[in-house]
Amino acid sequence: MKKIIQVALGILTSIGGFLDVGAIATSAQAGAAFGFELIWALVLGTVCVTFLVEMSGRLAAASKHTLAEAVRERFGAKFYFIQYIVEVVVDFLVLAAEIGGVCIALQLVTGLSYRWWVLPVAFFLWLLLWKGTFDLIENSVAILGLVTLVFVAAAVVVKPDWSSVLAGVVPSVARHDTAHYLFIAVSIVGALVSPYLFFFYSSGAVESKWDREYIGVNRAIAVVGMGFGSIVSLGLLVAAAVVLHPRGIQVDSYNQAALTLVQPFGFIGFLLFAASLGITCFGAALEVGLDQAYITAQAFGWRWGESQKPSKDARFSMTYTVVIFLSSLLMVAGIDPLQLTLFTMALSAAILPIVIVPFLVLMNDERYVGKYRNGWISNAVVIFIIGLAFVLAIVALPLEILGG
Amino acid sequence: MSQEDRKEINLIRDVLDNQLVDRHKQPMGRADGLIIELRTGEPPRLAYIEAGAQTLARRLHPKLSNWVSKLASRFGKDGEPYRIPWSRVHDVGIDIDVGVDAEKTPVMLFEQWLREHVVGRIPGGS
Repeated sequence: MKKIIQVALGILTSIGGFLDVGAIATSAQAGAAFGFELIWALVLGTVCVTFLVEMSGRLAAASKHTLAEAVRERFGAKFYFIQYIVEVVVDFLVLAAEIGGVCIALQLVTGLSYRWWVLPVAFFLWLLLWKGTFDLIENSVAILGLVTLVFVAAAVVVKPDWSSVLAGVVPSVARHDTAHYLFIAVSIVGALVSPYLFFFYSSGAVESKWDREYIGVNRAIAVVGMGFGSIVSLGLLVAAAVVLHPRGIQVDSYNQAALTLVQPFGFIGFLLFAASLGITCFGAALEVGLDQAYITAQAFGWRWGESQKPSKDARFSMTYTVVIFLSSLLMVAGIDPLQLTLFTMALSAAILPIVIVPFLVLMNDERYVGKYRNGWISNAVVIFIIGLAFVLAIVALPLEILGG
Repeated sequence: MSQEDRKEINLIRDVLDNQLVDRHKQPMGRADGLIIELRTGEPPRLAYIEAGAQTLARRLHPKLSNWVSKLASRFGKDGEPYRIPWSRVHDVGIDIDVGVDAEKTPVMLFEQWLREHVVGRIPGGS
């Protein structure tokens, strides 16, 4: 019975972790700009992230190491710090984008510009980390995150042509605007396969004292949780494709994205969109903020743990304090949250190899994971998708920047 | 695996960069450096594990190392990296267990400073 509760909680948690500002922004953009054409990118991203989340849980359960610790030990300080700096910079941008998402949600509801909300939101974020425990944070975000099921409901209510939806699963070349098509495809993969997720998930598993008994639980959580999260993203993409695409509405701001729920559900839909955006971004912001502290503390071998009092791990606690403050300044400065999100997600896809390649090496190392090594299928699938995403990112990022 | 069970140890693979754990099972940094003592007429002997930002910085870049040393002196460090004699190493497994009390070593100076001057003064910190 206890295991069942854990699986259920874990699934809820991973839904919380899966959905964030990136998933919402990229799904809405994809549906609005290209109809069902980009569903394949969502499918690829989901398959890849499911494998990788399962691996990071398995690494923690089998070796009692987090991903960051294992990389420093196995690849040495020099390599680890290259990866660390890249990850800190991208996390910094992701955190700013997530905080921006929460503030935009508040702007949608109140009409007051998002920039006014940045510091109060950042403060509340910090307060939860400062006072809360890991379980409290994860579970509350997970349960509130169920509101995002409204996207699935919307996809059903708008009555899409399901055979066209299915046809979108097959990768296709763009019918127009190839550069933007590739850019959105890369952003979708980057949003789903967020590098921070693996550092965070393995730290959470170590913090929850997972051992080898959890390997089965971990697999169930990864498959069901990630699958479920991707259905929500798919729901939003489909709703955007039906509601926005035929009317030629591009998602240049979150207001347009909200229309996907206004059309089927009216004003309630608008409120539910704001709630979904706010809650998922807030949950993701908590995770990214914590992740910055995790990877820093683990890099230097400091004491760390979200469930301890801040005085027990002063350096750890001060790391997320400083990071949240700095990231929020980026939003106060008035950078457009949606543009920042799309750019950051594509950047995430571009840095994937530097995070994932050492991760795969570890997952094939018997000294670390013993008999719980990767099979060839998971290796092959992950290498293929990461390689593809990297190549697409290298092509698409400059094109998008040049094209404005 | 306890030390008695094995005849040799791979320093770079199993010791360097691994987590140091003190006698109260508390993390106390990582094995940032290894010091080997040269002896005339005898083979070199593994003498110390070094821990601390200065040692780590020196491995990454000499300039970074100077900068870290200056910063460290502000927190009351004497500029010398902290060394744990190999005789105090109790066990090398996933982590390196050492028989010292972390709170009494310089590796915790910055932690203690933050605890006292910053975290302790923020409500809910302790």
